[in-house]
Amino acid sequence: MRPRILPTDVLLGTAPIALVLALWQGLVSFGFAPVTLLPPPGIVFGRLLQQLVTSTFQQEIVATLIRLFGGFLIAVVFGVGIGIAAAASPAINSVVRPIVRVLAPLPKVALYPALLLLLGFNHESKITLVAADALFPILLSTYFGASTVEQKLIWSAMAAGTPRREILFKVVLPAAMPSILTGCRIGLVISCIVVFLAEMITSTDGLGHVLVTAARTFQAVDMFVPLITISLLGLILNGLLQAVRSYLLRGFPEV
Amino acid sequence: MIEIDRVSQVFQTSARSDHLALSDISLSVEEGAFVSILGPSGCGKSTLLYIVGGFVNPTSGIAKMKGKTITGPGPDRGPVFQEFALFPWKSVLGNVMYGPRQQGVRAVDAEAQSRALIEMVGLKGYENFYPKELSGGMKQRVALARTLAYHPEVLLMDEPFGALDAHTRTRLQNDLLNIWERDRKTVIFVTHSVDEAVFLSDKVVMMSRSPGRIRQIVDIELPRPRRRTELLLDPRYQKFVVDIERMFDDDDEAGPGA
Repeated sequence: MRPRILPTDVLLGTAPIALVLALWQGLVSFGFAPVTLLPPPGIVFGRLLQQLVTSTFQQEIVATLIRLFGGFLIAVVFGVGIGIAAAASPAINSVVRPIVRVLAPLPKVALYPALLLLLGFNHESKITLVAADALFPILLSTYFGASTVEQKLIWSAMAAGTPRREILFKVVLPAAMPSILTGCRIGLVISCIVVFLAEMITSTDGLGHVLVTAARTFQAVDMFVPLITISLLGLILNGLLQAVRSYLLRGFPEV
Repeated sequence: MIEIDRVSQVFQTSARSDHLALSDISLSVEEGAFVSILGPSGCGKSTLLYIVGGFVNPTSGIAKMKGKTITGPGPDRGPVFQEFALFPWKSVLGNVMYGPRQQGVRAVDAEAQSRALIEMVGLKGYENFYPKELSGGMKQRVALARTLAYHPEVLLMDEPFGALDAHTRTRLQNDLLNIWERDRKTVIFVTHSVDEAVFLSDKVVMMSRSPGRIRQIVDIELPRPRRRTELLLDPRYQKFVVDIERMFDDDDEAGPGA
């Protein structure tokens, strides 16, 4: 009953990536960009494999991942919690709504200098920034999902004897799960972008910092390595989330 | 069993205009009776059912169950909705077990009871399927089993077969009657199908629209157990159907809004 992933789909999925790599190689081969500034993909991937086995590079990845996961998980907890609470209670909603309206469109990265001063150069400031940016898509989609739960699902549960206060956990939360996970997916992509951005702006370690350091010293190859790494991390994390999603939503119609 | 005493329901449709959905409805339903509420769409028949279910509070008047005023939903009144309203995240077994588990029945016992009910509604072998994998008729069978599982004293059926094709509908009507004839639960059954109401009920409550009022109550004095094939040939059955249809036709011709 579950849609199967066909080999042709995989093939179609990899084709655009192959095209990008070919274009990249082409730019170098046909002399549009000098090799010293735009190294060909072969050299970059070779360097990546070299780097991946070194403990210094692994530590950079770990630092980035800690911040990414830390911020993302905080965003999930608060986003889902506040979203459900706002959908359940008009009083909470009337408090949350204006705050969301003011803060959601704000470029959170503008808070980063303040966060650095308040929380220091370590993980805390970056985790907070990631959380602040990933929070809103998760919060908004949770609120949307929780406030559009079919009334008759709630009635059915109440008639079966579920007390009103338990409806939130027994019906609203599971029924809103498809929207919540869509929000999480967007939040995860944003987390990948923001953690890298924060590390590029001010950091002493992490993949973003590796890139900036390489750029300042004109190490073109080393500049592309963290870029590829964060893309691959994003791909892997998205795959993991997709697995969680298809498990949690196994009963729901096509998502 | 159920007493509806001068219930009216007003819905605010916009800031200035109110819509009178139900006007001064009084009705009593005896224990063990199968009562249909029949009327055109928009006559408030579902609203009346929701009031008995405790899902909607009437604007005025009261509804009572066994002498106690209805203030909210409870497991003594089990709804079955046209939209099925099954929990999509639970399997067939999980859906049916939900009620007994909420009632504090031990998991082992709840599962045994639920499996028996699933077999009774003809879905043995589908216990681990999810609702999305079932047809409309099967979903409604699961919904019926889920409601029967917590032993409500009254079944509140809100156009339960309205979303099904004619063939499935007929089969479910037959199966519902078979199940009902075994334990004679009180049933309030909302429908807009005259045949369905006459075939199933002891009593048909005819409603008119705008505002929703009780037009007439018809006692269906047909022997039980009823068999569809016999009934369709029975002149008494045919007369009930034709008489009721005529009364609705007269209504329509009486003028706009009638």
